[in-house]
Amino acid sequence: MKDIIQVKNISFNYSGQPLLFDGLSLDVHEGEWLALIGQNGSGKSTLARLIDGLNVLKKGQIFVDGLLVSDQNVFDIRNKIGMVFQNPEDQFVGATVEDDVAFGLENRQIDREKMHQLVKTSLENVNMWEFRDRIPANLSGGQKQRVAIAGIVALSPKIIILDEATSMLDPQGRQDILDLVRQLKEKNHLTVISITHDIDEAASADRVIVINKGQKIDEDIPGKIFSNTEQLARIGLDAPYTAQLIAALKRRHFDLDKEYLDREGLIAWIKQLVSTK
Amino acid sequence: MDKAISFNQVTHTYQANTPYAQNALDNISLEIPTNSFTAIIGHTGSGKSTLVQHINALLKPTQGSVTVYNRSITPTTTNKNLKELRRHVGMVFQFPEKQLFEETVIKDIMFGPKNYGMVDAEAEQAAIEAMKLVGLDKSLSEKSPFDLSGGQMRRVAIAGVLAMKPEVLILDEPTAGLDPRGHKEIMDLASYLHDHDHITIILVTHQMDDVVNYASEVVVMDKGKIVQTGTPAEVFADPKWVYRMQLNLPTSAEFAQQLIDAGVPIGQLPLTIDQLADRITELARKGENPDD
Repeated sequence: MKDIIQVKNISFNYSGQPLLFDGLSLDVHEGEWLALIGQNGSGKSTLARLIDGLNVLKKGQIFVDGLLVSDQNVFDIRNKIGMVFQNPEDQFVGATVEDDVAFGLENRQIDREKMHQLVKTSLENVNMWEFRDRIPANLSGGQKQRVAIAGIVALSPKIIILDEATSMLDPQGRQDILDLVRQLKEKNHLTVISITHDIDEAASADRVIVINKGQKIDEDIPGKIFSNTEQLARIGLDAPYTAQLIAALKRRHFDLDKEYLDREGLIAWIKQLVSTK
Repeated sequence: MDKAISFNQVTHTYQANTPYAQNALDNISLEIPTNSFTAIIGHTGSGKSTLVQHINALLKPTQGSVTVYNRSITPTTTNKNLKELRRHVGMVFQFPEKQLFEETVIKDIMFGPKNYGMVDAEAEQAAIEAMKLVGLDKSLSEKSPFDLSGGQMRRVAIAGVLAMKPEVLILDEPTAGLDPRGHKEIMDLASYLHDHDHITIILVTHQMDDVVNYASEVVVMDKGKIVQTGTPAEVFADPKWVYRMQLNLPTSAEFAQQLIDAGVPIGQLPLTIDQLADRITELARKGENPDD
């Protein structure tokens, strides 16, 4: 599989502060859903900013879709990446939902007729076309996040980075946004990097990279990462719900050789456990 | 039990006397007992924040009255009479760290008490105690609040409210955006203030696991009305109703429901992970000894 992002031996610090990254390397595979997990302050968001060329590296290199992240390439790179942040309000510029989605396209001097069509398709994709005349500030948190995603999808990026994009939403809103991004990912063949401390969100990723204090301490499929409940606890993250229930059952002296199962797996195991032998 | 707070037929209308008039609270009557830990739940836009803003009179009723520790708030109460009431009711808004503004942590925490008439030395003492209460190290007191981590900033903001020594503490989604460790720290703090300092806690939340793990009473809101009050067990007893209110079940109840759907005879829905594990244990023992 091709690596759409290669982070090679990078070092970085914010001015006047100690090194946040010191020789970090990692790869993102094309077409995968990668979850980057770690506590607040572990460096996840900084990494996303470095990939997008928003901060400058001290050492090392980052390649995005074959291009070196540098002053020269930064606009080409940003065309390939759409970033969705925690608080979409910080990004709204348009007076209406429609204007806001059009803003990015206007910046790229896209033909007016084509632009209208793109705005319409993008808003339809996120189920917000009927809200096109509304003021972004008056929408609910989930609706705002949908508009932000429409603005990004309109620019047809190859990579979407969700930076704690669902952490302010209620559980239903959170699930809706994740379902939406998953649909868009399939439809547009996107690579998704989800920066999160929500373990249940990370559980549905193809692959997980664990960042702690600026270092990559683990990378694997979710099932493997979540089996290591001690490591999760050590870096201040919750174990997924099923791992917590397995631990509670083990405390009640049940013999289960696994630390982690997904919901279906655990339901099947419990069913067998309680059935009459 | 004493009632700390009561709502007597309270209606609150936004943009009253305009074509956009909208009842955010619709004829609400409610009593919140002293030293309870009350969770207020309801989907987005159901009126939770409007309700709690009446408790420290940030909003006044359009009709009806609110009584907080024998002080009454009616549509005609003047702002002059509210200062004393607000000292007794501390309010922590969503993302309270956005309200920090002073040069140092200690000055920020002292701001509220000074505003309510404490002299510098008294306010400083109250601030030092509040820092200790929320688990902020003394060494941080001369730092700029803006150099702290998100979780620490939030604790500075909460300390600023606690320094006024309120009897009622309202927390409006206090853990939004925090990582799991920060979340647990803030919820454990609320629990400590409730158990140890006997502060009445009112928690507005979307997180049903916090409701079952921390709250003694629950108030459910829908379309500006109170549709249910009771213990967590009473409120979550009927999953279909919970979903109709556009709410979630606590994680263990939701998983138990999946087990029931898969044919495991769980019976009454457990609310916590230990209740569910106990129930599974019980069923497994029966499986081993079917004659019991």
